[in-house]
Amino acid sequence: MRGLFTKIHICLTSQSSKSQHCSVPIQTSRTLKMAKISIATVFIALISLLLTLTHSFSTENPTDRRILVLLDDLALKSSHSIFFNSLQSRGFELDFKLSDDPKIALQRYGQYLYDGLILFSPTTERFGGSLDVAAVLDFVDSGKDLIVAADASASDLIRSIAAECGVDFDEDPSAVVIDHGSYAVSGTEGDHTLIAADDFIKSDVLLGSTKIEAPVLFKGIGHSLNPANSLVLKVLSASPSAYSANPKSKLSTPPSLSGSSISLVSVVQARNNARAVFSGSLDLFSNKFFKSPVQKAGSSNKYAKSGNEQFVTELSKWVFHERGHLKAVNVKHHRVGETDEPAIYRINDDLEYSVEIYEWSGSSWEPYVANDVQVQFYMMSPYVLKTMSTDKKGLYHASFKVPDVYGVFQFKVEYQRLGYTSLSLAKQIPVRPFRHNEYERFIPTAFPYYGASFSTMAAFFIFSFVYLYSK
Amino acid sequence: MFTKSHKTFRFDSIVKSKHTETAITVCVREMVKSATTKDDAHALFHSLRSAYSATPTNLKIIDLYVVFAVFTALIQVVYMAIVGSFPFNSFLSGVLSCVGTAVLAVCLRIQVNKENKEFKDLPPERAFADFVLCNLVLHLVIMNFLG
Repeated sequence: MRGLFTKIHICLTSQSSKSQHCSVPIQTSRTLKMAKISIATVFIALISLLLTLTHSFSTENPTDRRILVLLDDLALKSSHSIFFNSLQSRGFELDFKLSDDPKIALQRYGQYLYDGLILFSPTTERFGGSLDVAAVLDFVDSGKDLIVAADASASDLIRSIAAECGVDFDEDPSAVVIDHGSYAVSGTEGDHTLIAADDFIKSDVLLGSTKIEAPVLFKGIGHSLNPANSLVLKVLSASPSAYSANPKSKLSTPPSLSGSSISLVSVVQARNNARAVFSGSLDLFSNKFFKSPVQKAGSSNKYAKSGNEQFVTELSKWVFHERGHLKAVNVKHHRVGETDEPAIYRINDDLEYSVEIYEWSGSSWEPYVANDVQVQFYMMSPYVLKTMSTDKKGLYHASFKVPDVYGVFQFKVEYQRLGYTSLSLAKQIPVRPFRHNEYERFIPTAFPYYGASFSTMAAFFIFSFVYLYSK
Repeated sequence: MFTKSHKTFRFDSIVKSKHTETAITVCVREMVKSATTKDDAHALFHSLRSAYSATPTNLKIIDLYVVFAVFTALIQVVYMAIVGSFPFNSFLSGVLSCVGTAVLAVCLRIQVNKENKEFKDLPPERAFADFVLCNLVLHLVIMNFLG
């Protein structure tokens, strides 16, 4: 290519001198054509690069694309390679950086550069660059996703990020989760800090439809959740015999965290549908735990492979919006028998309401099938609450009668289910009373009165004749 | 002595009055004479009946018309008590038509009755014309209010 360019250059420059005969006149046209093609390909490549840069999390394609991974040391890249490779094979672009790299930037010129953040840096006290607790929380508030892994020596930075999201790690910095009842049996006699946990949350959307058979190996710190908080969920809880304490020292006071209230892995789905996973163990994601066999103490089942890989893969699918992401489109309402949407309804009208709900399957929008989506006809309180029926292709519809009250109502669909994005649709519609000529003309209960009046008139008529013409 | 003269005075004044009234006072006197109430009731009923049959036919026709109207009104009131007063305007209209026409018929009876001294100079045709006109207005109002 370079040779061709130089030849063209020489030929072009030699035109002016006319002394040198251009040795390749026929080939010049071909090289010119190839030059044009090469320029065109470079141009196209630049445009496509621009397109791929802008092709990220969008409403049409909710799965995240670019993920920033912050590590304590780069050895994690190889010790957790199975996890990272599985993410990359699913189409994510991982950007690995050391957590104190001064060139870390989540956003530039007001635009976020990444759609997801993985913090595998439990011991970092300060992030490099412009990243701090507030920046991470803004990232989540803008709708992006987060995976945070703490460990036995978690720094205050990680603890405060978790605390802001509703996850309270054990305050004692040297405490880890110990379980003498369901630890993982290993060759050496350990201090029972390696736990085999199998108390999963029952949710197909969070953990996939295949049941995780083998217990999950865990070694790290535990956290607790506020039971009043409806946005955090315990995905992996410790067994009732677990407690959080320093394994090297004797217990002087009862541990603050114990039993099933210890959560080992929890998820947060924020009101703006940003998802975050908080894990108390970084080793949960490691190759070593993925590949090792597991046997829970007290049970004779020996599993050749722990449930870590399946657990982590399914959870990462959920966190990065490959599963459980709903969208509701095409809200339509009309009177029974008509097709166009009226601007106002009348009381005691029959109407039909329909909405289409789709779920993102990772690559395309599939119809969402459920039997508990409800629509409300709401004015200060729901006058009508109806469960919608589906045609299994994503269309949900319900038909009901407008209540006998007039005013400004709303068609409300509030759908919050564990693990799914929350749907909150509201469409305002006024309802008017009867016009004066829309009332029923003759009231059936008043027929005797009508009859009496007319019979009196008839009687008067007959009486007057009889009275006049009788002798 | 004084009482006897008082009685005779009254008897004399009664004798001068109309034929129907005489019959009633006769039976009242007879009632005073007899002792048992049951016989009294029977006697009263029979005398009333006989006295009534002496009224002119046109008055009897008017009486019949009044009885019909009042009966219709009573039926409507009983119906309202059962069903409730939902279209209250229709109920009022129905009852008013019956009661109003009964009242107008009673007025006609008073004016047409020859024994009534007050309306001696009123021609009965005029009374009947008033009756018809008032009934027309009444029924116009009824039709409007009936809904």
